[in-house]
Amino acid sequence: MRTLLNALYRASGAAAALGMIATLVMVMTGVVSRPLGIYLRGTDDYAGYCMAACGFLALAYTFKHGEHIRVSLVIERLGPKMRRAAEWMSLAAGTLVSGALAWYSIQLVWQSHQFGDVSPGVDATPLWIPQIGMAAGCLVFFIALLDDLVTTSLGRAPHRFAHANDEPAHME
Amino acid sequence: MDLTIAALLIGLMLLFLAGGLWIGLALIAVGVMGMLGFTPRSPGDGMAVTIWGSGSAWTLTALPLFLWMGEILFRTKLSEDMFKGLAPWLERLPGRLLHTNIIGCTLFAAVSGSSAATCATIGKIALPELTRRGYPESMALGTLAGAGTLGLLIPPSIIMIVYGVSADVSIAKLFIGGVLPGILLAALFMGWVVIWSLLNPEKIPPADIRTNLAGKLRASRHLIPVVLLIAGVLGSIYTGVATATEAAGIGVVGSLIISAAQRTLNRSNFIAALMGATRLYCMIALILAGSAFLTLAMGYIGLPRHLAAWIGTLGLSPGMLLVVLGIFYVVLGCFLDGISMVVLTMAVLLPTIQAAGIDPLWFGIFIVVVVEMAQITPPVGFNLFVLQGLTGRQITTIARYAMPYFMLMALAVVLLYAFPGLITWLPGKMIG
Amino acid sequence: QTAWDMPTPYPTSNFHTENIQQFVADIDKASGGKLKITVHANGSLFKANEIKRAVQGGQAQIGEIIISGMANEDPIYALDNVPFLATSYADAKKLWVASKSAVEAKLAKNGIKLLYSVPWPPQGLYSKTEVSSMDALKRLKIRSYSPTVARMIELMGAQPVTVQAADLTQALSTGVVSANVTSGATGYDTKSWEQLKYFYDVQAWLPKNIVIVSQKAFDALDPATQKAVTTAAAAAEARGWKISEEKTAWYLDELKKNGMTIAPASAELKAGLVKVGEKMAAEWAESAGPEGKKVLEAYKK
Ligand code: NA
Ligand code: NA
Repeated sequence: MRTLLNALYRASGAAAALGMIATLVMVMTGVVSRPLGIYLRGTDDYAGYCMAACGFLALAYTFKHGEHIRVSLVIERLGPKMRRAAEWMSLAAGTLVSGALAWYSIQLVWQSHQFGDVSPGVDATPLWIPQIGMAAGCLVFFIALLDDLVTTSLGRAPHRFAHANDEPAHME
Repeated sequence: MDLTIAALLIGLMLLFLAGGLWIGLALIAVGVMGMLGFTPRSPGDGMAVTIWGSGSAWTLTALPLFLWMGEILFRTKLSEDMFKGLAPWLERLPGRLLHTNIIGCTLFAAVSGSSAATCATIGKIALPELTRRGYPESMALGTLAGAGTLGLLIPPSIIMIVYGVSADVSIAKLFIGGVLPGILLAALFMGWVVIWSLLNPEKIPPADIRTNLAGKLRASRHLIPVVLLIAGVLGSIYTGVATATEAAGIGVVGSLIISAAQRTLNRSNFIAALMGATRLYCMIALILAGSAFLTLAMGYIGLPRHLAAWIGTLGLSPGMLLVVLGIFYVVLGCFLDGISMVVLTMAVLLPTIQAAGIDPLWFGIFIVVVVEMAQITPPVGFNLFVLQGLTGRQITTIARYAMPYFMLMALAVVLLYAFPGLITWLPGKMIG
Repeated sequence: QTAWDMPTPYPTSNFHTENIQQFVADIDKASGGKLKITVHANGSLFKANEIKRAVQGGQAQIGEIIISGMANEDPIYALDNVPFLATSYADAKKLWVASKSAVEAKLAKNGIKLLYSVPWPPQGLYSKTEVSSMDALKRLKIRSYSPTVARMIELMGAQPVTVQAADLTQALSTGVVSANVTSGATGYDTKSWEQLKYFYDVQAWLPKNIVIVSQKAFDALDPATQKAVTTAAAAAEARGWKISEEKTAWYLDELKKNGMTIAPASAELKAGLVKVGEKMAAEWAESAGPEGKKVLEAYKK
């Protein structure tokens, strides 16, 4: 189960990274095509969709690296018992909020499809297609929070991806 | 009634944040509670539409790309080189290499339209080097938090575009009007670093070996890559090769070229930079999503609108009005991001501003500086978030480090009030 | 008492928004305060692109949108954007009367009721350089923002360049684009004289904004309040068309005062552009099928 879940988070992170590369490719295609007199339709809008895919699909992966920030100052000063309770509460609240986000993102895709919502720009993209990235990313994020909530409820420490050695970004 | 709602929502937000809820999720939670409690609208569908809209907006693409650029450069010798080149020139200036943060942010602000990208990019490059050389953390992080906000004041600037459209002010004039105030702020920050360093000489690490002019010039060759990169990105904007948004893409490509030229571009470095940028962007994106939804909720509840309207009814003198508005925006800035603040309040405030005889161009720069202050006030301050993401320090700690720069910006507002020409002189020189 | 939220895309000083404020005040008065509408101007609640969806999905009860913003959804909405088809206020009105029921039917399928329309002043060509002939058009890089506009620019022989609104000022001053097709009103609002020198009053088309309401929200009102809404809407439509036409000359005067050269299109240019218009009308009729042909015939009668 753990292996499967971690593979899911990693796959989602890899897809997000591809979204980042695609954003760059779209932006640069727009820049390069202009002086050549070639008119490529909608590269700017596609760049926006790729960026959205990057941001949303990376949610769980970033969470599992412990890189979504929060204020831990207060709960760090609590006693071990109180602290566990506070951690559990914030995980529960986070699971709830991310669950709502996932639910409504999926509904967004469905409604966009039902409404026939189309981008008004030159790209004329049916919006439900790029919105799938948001729905999928939010869903995996919800799973990651639920995963931690269950693990914590069972009295174990939640699993975190270790940092690679070549990322000494932190000052401590 | 409005005050009760405001107090309740602020209390809720502090509770969520103190409880350790992730910041973006806390913002969404407060928005949901606000809408459920004080409006007849259901929060769900609007949440998804707004978050999608803000997360897929073209103008935002510059942010992840600039973050990626920072991650690539962090893995090159660029920062080491930059410090080697700058150190001989700064050795006599009290505070020495701390000024690289301010100079770096000021230069980068001319490339990027956002404060978070400026803070993150320069932070990623400069922080490890400053730490390695033993500069005090409080000053290294404080100068970054403060000078990073210059991304908004020095053109190009997204918030000026938003203000210009809302208030019917020339965006070109706003851009030019921001130049002198931006330089003024940078000078104030550098002045503070000088004073602090004179008061605490033992905390500033010693200079490398003293060099003569020839040595300084020879050392400056190390600056060539960074100068080329900035010239390339700026040049692409001002020659019409790229728009201000697309310039970020040029920056990434330029950094990859530098990385290749310095032989630091290999598979593992590329992947580490890419994944690092993806996670850093994602961290900010979650907060932006929460902030977009909270803005929607505030729009429905009408809190900022009502407060702004109330200020309009007080019948204050122009000077008092600015004091009250300054405080209003600083308080609002504790919880909302800058663009939301402008969008939610301008429609209501503009008639008041005009009735008071305040020049809307001047007021635009005033708002940008006040919004800059909001970037470094807790609990919701984007530069604080970026620096927490980079260093793992608590927001409260970073906010404390940033406090002097907040005060300096307040001082800048007073100076701009006393000498409005700082804002209006350059735009007045424009043709048309 | 009922409270509605009304998102609109344009700033408070824009004449569309001013007209809406009057419309809302009229309803407040006529309904005896039973229906309160809060106007959220300038995209402060929902952005321009999100407003139709917000009304359709029930997040807002009423809102303002530009018809051509839906052009990618259905050809009937694209008719509003076909250039050189209806170039005067009288023709634009005629075209609107001919197409109104088709637009209403399409909107009804989304659960949306049309309240009223107001046109923008005619679209003209803003350029950094003089454009006296069709040949001069070939050197222009013109801002494109929708498929219809892109197609028109291609047929004009110029190069379409997509630039988003936020980047436009800079793109114009640095030469990423050298020309722009929009109305005198927008040109005035965005102070185009700072980057552009020439305005050619080619009167390509008159885009229309419409105010729409959720059918469900409308049906929930009592008959007297419904009447108050439709009466105020009719008044707003009459007022809006009048203001728009009156302001057209004023906007051009302001452009001139600020140093722009205002010129009509030369005979050669006009003839070339009319050809572009004919081609696009034919293409539009093709895409819109028999239903579209009927609308066009009704207009040309
Ligand atoms: Na900037
Ligand atoms: Na703040």
